[in-house]
Amino acid sequence: MVYELNDVSVRINGEEILQSVSCTLKEGKWISIIGQAGAGKSTFAKVIKGLIPFFKGEYTHNQQPLPRDSKGNMKVVPQIGYVFQFPEHQIFETTVYKELTFAPKVKGESPERLEEAIMMVMGQMGLSGDLLQENPFQLSGGLKRLIAIASVLIAEPELLILDEPTAGLDPISRTALLKQLKAWQGEKNRTVLFISHQLEDVAEYSDEVMIFKKGRLLVHLDVNELFLKHIAFMEQAGLPLPEPIQLLRLIEAISGRILEPASCREEDIMQLVRSVWQSRGLQNDG
Amino acid sequence: MLVFDQVDYHYRRGHPVLRQLSFEIHQGKFISIIGGNGSGKSTLAKLMNGLLQPREGQVKLDHLNTLKHEDLGRIRELVGLVFQNPDDQFITTSVLDEVVFGLENLRVPRDEMAHRVNEALKAVHMEDYVEAMPHQLSGGQKQRVAFAAVVAMDPSILIVDEATSMLDPQGRRDILDVMHALHRQGMTIIHITHHMEEILSSDRVLLLSNGEMAFDGTPSALFSNVSIAEHQLALPFAVRLHQALGLNAPLCADWKETITSLWSMS
Amino acid sequence: MTDNIIWGQYINSGSIVHRLDPRTKLLSVLAFTLCCLILKTFGGYVAATVLVGGQLLLSRVPVRKFFRGIKPILLILTFTFVYHLLVTQEGIESGVFVVWRILLLVSLASVLTLTTKPLDLAKGLEQLFKPLSNWGVPVEALALMLMIAIRFIPTITQELDRIILAQKARGYDIKSAKGHRQVFAYLLLVVPLLITTIQRAEQLAMTIDARAYGNGKGRTSYRVLRFSRIDYVAGGLILAFILLILYL
Repeated sequence: MVYELNDVSVRINGEEILQSVSCTLKEGKWISIIGQAGAGKSTFAKVIKGLIPFFKGEYTHNQQPLPRDSKGNMKVVPQIGYVFQFPEHQIFETTVYKELTFAPKVKGESPERLEEAIMMVMGQMGLSGDLLQENPFQLSGGLKRLIAIASVLIAEPELLILDEPTAGLDPISRTALLKQLKAWQGEKNRTVLFISHQLEDVAEYSDEVMIFKKGRLLVHLDVNELFLKHIAFMEQAGLPLPEPIQLLRLIEAISGRILEPASCREEDIMQLVRSVWQSRGLQNDG
Repeated sequence: MLVFDQVDYHYRRGHPVLRQLSFEIHQGKFISIIGGNGSGKSTLAKLMNGLLQPREGQVKLDHLNTLKHEDLGRIRELVGLVFQNPDDQFITTSVLDEVVFGLENLRVPRDEMAHRVNEALKAVHMEDYVEAMPHQLSGGQKQRVAFAAVVAMDPSILIVDEATSMLDPQGRRDILDVMHALHRQGMTIIHITHHMEEILSSDRVLLLSNGEMAFDGTPSALFSNVSIAEHQLALPFAVRLHQALGLNAPLCADWKETITSLWSMS
Repeated sequence: MTDNIIWGQYINSGSIVHRLDPRTKLLSVLAFTLCCLILKTFGGYVAATVLVGGQLLLSRVPVRKFFRGIKPILLILTFTFVYHLLVTQEGIESGVFVVWRILLLVSLASVLTLTTKPLDLAKGLEQLFKPLSNWGVPVEALALMLMIAIRFIPTITQELDRIILAQKARGYDIKSAKGHRQVFAYLLLVVPLLITTIQRAEQLAMTIDARAYGNGKGRTSYRVLRFSRIDYVAGGLILAFILLILYL
């Protein structure tokens, strides 16, 4: 599957909050969306899901225009899942089971298929089956978050939008959640749009990065290209560099060498930096 | 000096949130409080200025006691509190009124208010937004106004409860700068956070785990002693770097300085 | 949804209407409302229209903004008009007058909210009702309540928009629900909205306490309202006009 925007603009109250965005979202990619507050990240995500109309441009799915309603407005794209910020605030059912089955029931799934999907999604999110009959409102904040996300994953979306899914979580829960989502994405070769302010997470988990600035798509490129070759874009968007990248730059500056790690992930950078660090005495002697 | 003496707290009977907490915080220190989701950090903050009162034990600020009703007004003047969500702590309809609100409660004379409002807004770099309304401000700006509203009341202790967690990187940096500037002016800062990077520059770290004090000491002692992962925390980048390179140098918030000086020493 | 809310949409054009004391405006709106209720003659309607139109012009509020504010009322007006047309004896005539009257009242109320900061309105009400505090009415607390209501209307509408979008994203379009499903659809909205609003309220109450509100010592006040010369003049003129309207 491929989703494509061509020259799309969104206007709200006479103000263009998204301007001439063109992009291609390919299958099986973890695409991170970054930019300062108010840069248009969430607006872009809502356009992709078909939640807000655009007044200019085209939006296609596998080269086919997406369906519209009788008034010509975009319809919600059902095969896309959307996890809003603080998704636990949207919980309204009285048991975890009902909450999880809400969307599939609207779609009219059979009971057998439903059971199967529930077991699968609970396993994927590392949730115990005992939770199903619990009242979600009485669970901890972290568990509520997992259940809210599971209730989106159960519909097996081919593209999943995550709007700051880790906001307010402690570091361990945050890493655990991201690893589960990454595993889900890789296993099923799905696409993820990941909106985040945590640039370390972006460097760690992404395949591609889209940077937004003042309603425009500044650039869309491979994550390693961005952090290892074109960091000027980060500065242009008013964003700091992830700490591992800052380390890499520093070591390059003080050693006078050009470093080329295998990827922009912390593990690879640390490994390279370690070898440079250990050889620094030798280098100075020579 | 802020003193916790054998403090217990629970919302529901039989479900203790904090257990047997005893510690002292001296004036002018920068303290970080960390712990996983649900470890009792926010409850602790609310006990500090009498928003909650201990079920057992006492919380004292010099000669004042949060259990004494007549002391509460004074305690809230002395202990300011900034919360996580910038939208839910903007009470009034403009920046000016927001800062004025606390001053009116303290019965500050009218002539003095303008000056204090101005000083407080300058401290957070929001002096150009005096007349702005909340919906015209970004999350980071609203959060800075919340700081100004508390700072104008001239507290001696400022508690910051995860106030950076909903902001973008720039907004986060701005808030941290404000906190450090206030600390340099002599204010006690108590910073509750999930960001391990932010605790390295504090004087002292309190680690809460299931409502008990699991650690109380300096950041470098924390990262060399306790098995952190067990308490739902992660190592900050500087510590990971020290481990990866096998550095023996003392832990410092600015790892760049450490690396640069060690490199040239070899 | 959110942009039709005229509350908190104060626009400062610095006009004479803006500079009037909120109490002057509140009292004249009150007097005018009473006057409208007993309005009978065609001449009276015309004079009242001149009064409202005059204030609208003096306030220099952008016309577009004004119409956007009263748009939601138009549906009610059409309904009222049709109702009068079909049901009452006088038909058209009575319909016209009722609609005219509502338009006058809504327009004046819009002028009030467009030219007065919500906070000044709350302050104005507080000072008007101050004498009641001698009788044990918590006027100050009620004024704070009013201000919070004004402050949070846009926030809560935004929240509502967000919840509608989130339900839509989960494949449930509230607008398309029919029959008994509609009740369910509204529950889907109201439950999350109620929960977030209660959480918000809790947090806000905590903030108010933390900022030392109600510590038993009373408060000082930064914004002190004072009647100035233009208030006396404007008040006198409006009173004269209202008497004229009643006379016509």
